[in-house]
Amino acid sequence: MRLVVLTTALLALSGPAFAATTYPLTLQNCGAEVTFDKAPARVVTIKSTATELLLSLGLGDRIVGVGFQDGPLPEALAAAGASLKVLADKLPSQEVVLETDPDFIYGGWESNFAADGAGERPTLEQLGVKTYVAPAACRTVKPPKLSFDAIFAEIGEMGSIFDADAAATALVDSQKASLAALAPDPRGLTAVWYSSGTKAPYVGAGSNAPAMIMTALGLKNVFGDVDDGWVAASWEAVVDANPDVIVLVDAAWNPAAQKIKLLSENPITSQLDAVVNQRYLIIPFPASEAGVRNVPATLDLAKQLAALNIPAK
Amino acid sequence: MPQRPAYLAAYAGLWALLLASATIAVTFGPAEISPTEVWGTILHHLGMAGDSPLSHLRDAIVWQLRLPRVLAALGIGAGLALAGTVMQVLTRNPLADPYLLGLSSGAALGAVIFLLTGAALLMPVGAFLGSLAALGLALLIARLLGGATPSRAILAGICIAALASAATSLLIFWSATGDSYREILSWLLGSLSGTTWGDAVLVMLALALCTPIILLSGRGLDAFAFGDDAAASLGIDITRLRWTLLAATALLTGVMVAIGGAIGFVGLVVPHAVRLAVGSRHRVLLPMSMLVGAIFMLWTDTAARTLFDPRELPVGIVTALIGAPAFLLILLRYRRVT
Repeated sequence: MRLVVLTTALLALSGPAFAATTYPLTLQNCGAEVTFDKAPARVVTIKSTATELLLSLGLGDRIVGVGFQDGPLPEALAAAGASLKVLADKLPSQEVVLETDPDFIYGGWESNFAADGAGERPTLEQLGVKTYVAPAACRTVKPPKLSFDAIFAEIGEMGSIFDADAAATALVDSQKASLAALAPDPRGLTAVWYSSGTKAPYVGAGSNAPAMIMTALGLKNVFGDVDDGWVAASWEAVVDANPDVIVLVDAAWNPAAQKIKLLSENPITSQLDAVVNQRYLIIPFPASEAGVRNVPATLDLAKQLAALNIPAK
Repeated sequence: MPQRPAYLAAYAGLWALLLASATIAVTFGPAEISPTEVWGTILHHLGMAGDSPLSHLRDAIVWQLRLPRVLAALGIGAGLALAGTVMQVLTRNPLADPYLLGLSSGAALGAVIFLLTGAALLMPVGAFLGSLAALGLALLIARLLGGATPSRAILAGICIAALASAATSLLIFWSATGDSYREILSWLLGSLSGTTWGDAVLVMLALALCTPIILLSGRGLDAFAFGDDAAASLGIDITRLRWTLLAATALLTGVMVAIGGAIGFVGLVVPHAVRLAVGSRHRVLLPMSMLVGAIFMLWTDTAARTLFDPRELPVGIVTALIGAPAFLLILLRYRRVT
């Protein structure tokens, strides 16, 4: 982390001349110390967020296998990721991962590094395979409430690990510029981030990507007081809050259309203002977890939100 | 053993407690609605009062979310306690409950198969078929072992339960996408989240169908407790009675599991607690177990939906947390009694 700060400071001083990473590079990641002797050359990414971050840095040629992809790549990355080798649709097992002879595994969830998954981190370390958990998904060390800066820091860290500071800085700068141009919605609207679930809705709570994105949009999250990323809430709490808009997560296995159908057919949720007036914002699932797609997704949601005509209460 | 008037007083007391519990429980919930408003709304829907005092959404919270759930909890508690009591007699095994005989696991497997094949609406049918299949298989295995004695039925039941649970886990592991496992998991733990009027009506229908059949067999059940021969010597057609009761229990369990998932310990603990208090005459034991089961289930579900507001806890966790220590206490009491 300190190195990143240092690098960033150096960059600020030196302008466009980017500092090359000096190996060995040691960083703290989710309760573990990881030391890189050189830039990883054979990488396995697990979860879309990890794959997409590396592709965004132009590091697709280093990826020898991907697992647990949550959905299709965004258009901008589709060409770069067209020929990636898919190890497993869900969590690949340790043998499948090791068979690709990786020197680095980048996991979007800490639980990806389980004995029945890619393998436990200490075991992999002993085998000489470096590991990295997306900081926002760390459970061993509870991360602070997610901010865009934390995502930029993750991009910066990947830039350092791969000696790709120029690409990382360019990506962060362009995302910062996009974000700076975004004005939060001034209408003081309330929202529920409906991720999945039928009997009990699984909704965005106060500390992860849903909270960060809703805050940037100027939406007040009904479940924002719950100190967790997502939470299995009750329909009673949703109906009681009667949110102005509902953010729907669109996944291949649980499409937004299915949620709209459920909301409008259920005798009680069908009476919610947001459902009666079809006030939905839709975000693709892979963009709804902390990663490089949060900023573009936030801009897209802001457009959808601006298009909604909501009478003042 | 207490005299008859004492039973009547106990019935009256339990009914009063049940009605009071339902009256109070329906006023609890994440949304802040006063008891007067809650009951004004319910009376309005029952046509016994004028306009609903609440906005249409808050009205819906009471009438569409809370009331069906309270009714389903009462019905499921009564049904599970009833099924457990019958199971314990039929197998002459104090540990028998719909779980141990594999009925719940069979029902869960049937329900998950129907759920995954896209027939979510027919889930209760799947659960019923599953619990019936588990029961049939357990009895068949017991027969192959040389006759359906209680201990063989239990051993076969344990085997079926393990097999059905493994098959359910396999199906979930193989087919669960994204975080859909979360919903299935919560249902497997037992949860009344999202109970609709349709669910509540189904539970009540199953109870209305099975309760008379079982209650009318009270004398037969008493005889069963002394062994098949004793029952036969009293002129009871034991084969027919056993199958009737087993089918009724399978139907009850199937419907309860389809609506509430695999809620544990109610069928085991409640009959034992009641038996300890009123003895094992089934004409008394069966209705009392139903009442106590209903009240127990209602309060555990109320706790599950309100304690961690706005989160919901699967109620099966609560029943097990309370049920397991309660069962131990009952065992200790039994030791002292006998």
